[in-house]
Amino acid sequence: MQGLPLQFTNVSKAFSIKGKALPVIDNLSLDCPAGSFTALLGPSGCGKSTLLRLALALENEDSGSLRIGGDSPRSICRSGAVGVAFQDAALLPWRSVEDNIRLPFEVLGRKRPDPEKINGLIELVGLKGFEKARPGELSGGMRQRVAIARALATEPRVLLMDEPFGALDLILRRQMNLELQRIWSAKRPTTLLITHGIDEAVYLADRVIVLSPRPARVLADIPVSFSRPRGAELLRDPAFHHVCDRIAALLDPETSAASAAAEAATLDAAPVDAPAKAGTIA
Amino acid sequence: MTRFGDHLATGVLILLLLAAWEVAGQLKLVADGTLPPLSAILLRLAAEWREYWPHVAATLYTASLGFLIGNAVALAAAVSFCLWPVAERIFRGVNIAAFTVPPIAIAPVLVIALDGETARITLAALLVYFPTMTAAMAGLRSADPRAVDLIRAYGGGPLRTLWLLRLRAALPAILSGFQVAAPAAVLGAVLAEFGSGARWGLGTFLLGSLGRAEPDRLWGIGLTATAIAGLGYALSATLAARTTSLNRAVNIGVTGPEPETANEAPLRRALLLAAAILMPLLIWQGMLFWADLSPIIAKTPMGVIDYLITGKTAASAQTRLLAALAETVPITIAGMLLGLGFAFALALLSFAAPLLMRALLPFALVTQTMPLVALTPLAVLIFGRGITVTLVITISVTFFAAFVVLAQGFAMIPKAAFDLVDAYGASTLRKLRLIAIPASRQWLFVAARLALPKALLGVMIAEWLATGKGLGNLLNQSRGYLDYGMIWTVAVVSILLSVLLYQLTPVLEWVGRSDRRDK
Repeated sequence: MQGLPLQFTNVSKAFSIKGKALPVIDNLSLDCPAGSFTALLGPSGCGKSTLLRLALALENEDSGSLRIGGDSPRSICRSGAVGVAFQDAALLPWRSVEDNIRLPFEVLGRKRPDPEKINGLIELVGLKGFEKARPGELSGGMRQRVAIARALATEPRVLLMDEPFGALDLILRRQMNLELQRIWSAKRPTTLLITHGIDEAVYLADRVIVLSPRPARVLADIPVSFSRPRGAELLRDPAFHHVCDRIAALLDPETSAASAAAEAATLDAAPVDAPAKAGTIA
Repeated sequence: MTRFGDHLATGVLILLLLAAWEVAGQLKLVADGTLPPLSAILLRLAAEWREYWPHVAATLYTASLGFLIGNAVALAAAVSFCLWPVAERIFRGVNIAAFTVPPIAIAPVLVIALDGETARITLAALLVYFPTMTAAMAGLRSADPRAVDLIRAYGGGPLRTLWLLRLRAALPAILSGFQVAAPAAVLGAVLAEFGSGARWGLGTFLLGSLGRAEPDRLWGIGLTATAIAGLGYALSATLAARTTSLNRAVNIGVTGPEPETANEAPLRRALLLAAAILMPLLIWQGMLFWADLSPIIAKTPMGVIDYLITGKTAASAQTRLLAALAETVPITIAGMLLGLGFAFALALLSFAAPLLMRALLPFALVTQTMPLVALTPLAVLIFGRGITVTLVITISVTFFAAFVVLAQGFAMIPKAAFDLVDAYGASTLRKLRLIAIPASRQWLFVAARLALPKALLGVMIAEWLATGKGLGNLLNQSRGYLDYGMIWTVAVVSILLSVLLYQLTPVLEWVGRSDRRDK
């Protein structure tokens, strides 16, 4: 199954707080081609999560349009083509690990999935032996891995993730990043990852979108063309750190205005100066 | 102290208190022997068991059916209100009436409108409805909003969210609602037996035993009713404890926002308010239409207006009603304040001396599950028939709910708040003054809301059974004279009075808040 393209066109969204309109997203356009991996970075509270909620039809846009594979988010989500993992695992505490992973099938009204398949997913996220455990008996990291397995259970063509590894420690986070890359490479769902981790974004994504403080606009669109599969060595590569540093500068409010302008000027001419070197690493 | 040590100390204290009861009874220390020794009560109960049995069976039957029906209606209502929030707004008047209605006032009306058995079950069901409905609503709304998002993200609608998430998430809350509802069902059954001329039932038995001035018989009946209520409570509590531990495992205690009403059009709001006020009247009219009764016996809303305001009975009816209200209202407010004060004192005690409190709690629980009507004759024996007995009964019906709320309020003060003053070496008293009392302020209003309607019930029962004054007595007299207009009028007026008192608390709360802002 191939990924589906995801398109935000001139999307705006405001919330009303005590009668006052608070613009969260301002005329934002973003095009994620089928099978691409896009990471969204931005200061906290800038509207990243709202963007994802729009794509899940949990909120409605005020203006502009949002299309997934040419269809509305609502009908695409109902078809089961979208997988989702939130910052919090949001597991149902009275259900076992298996039953939690099975939940999307019940919501979609599909027939019970093959137990083999559920077991395969549990093994994939490294929870073999915990099939019957309840969320209360798992650590935070393990719960988060259940949530990832659940997001993958329906074999989604679009994968939306809101800081799925935010609660994990650094070591586990690296491990999960490796796993996610492997899973993504195998099925190629169009993926949108919201994260606070610059290195995580650069490591996983084809491109990193840096958003402005609220209301969210695209501040910079940075292609990342290290060849795949990307190994752990990439994390030690100076070229990798160079890209990370540039993004960090964009996110720093003191330097962001100046470097955004410079970025816009250089990006068109020479995308990233690292790829040639990165190619030799992989 | 260890947990086991705590339990042991509590147990020893309870045994000591029971022993004190026995000694006080044997030596006739309380009001010339109106408090019999525990052993005498139990021995008499055992000896008269054959006589008790048909009464117990009748009350059990009424209470269980009322419990089942009331809970079924309450759950259906809670689910509907959750799916269609507008329905909750429309039925708000009905819900407040169901909460505030003094069962003693509505019992004679139900007996008129329905046949005896139906009336008894209806009253039990009516008292069950509110606690379960509110608990279920709170439970359904407490579902983890992130899990709700997840289900919606996979295209699940409200029904699937209800089925896969909300119902299961609400289970502990629903079962804790049952804990309150079980004693309420017994109280409803006994109160209804009292006024319906039933042949069997603990209420009938009690009424028959009232004139004989045998305290040990009265205590025996009261304790039997308590045991039935306690059994229902214990069953629900056991079930609740099982499901709760499973639910709490990973819950972080996030609740969804209340439905937004701030941006609503004024017209829509006014219409919903009007609907909420009209709805109880519609149900009243509809029930009478369905029961197909003579308008002389069964008064419609217009019938009551005719009786009290426009008809030729109006002048006499108004005089009697106003005289009764002048008697009842001040004592209700006084009893309510005393009840709240008592609850506050107990909550402070439970904070300062938790061990003593745990030992006293079972006895406090008895005053709750022991149906009021059983308590009243005993209170009369001890306190006579003056104003004291009314106040004592009113305090005993109001304090418990208020105490639970306040104690919970104290328990919810973050530990960190105490750690700070502890670090400066504050004594328990100082901690109370600096932290606990100011922090409990908002809980006082919640407690008042619970206590107010119950205060009216306590006063009316005391008036009916003990003092022969006020609204309760007017109701009793009207039953004797077959003055149907007055029976309906008293029922309506007492409900309106309760609703009024209930609506008074938010106003007080608002005043309290603006006062705090000024500082």
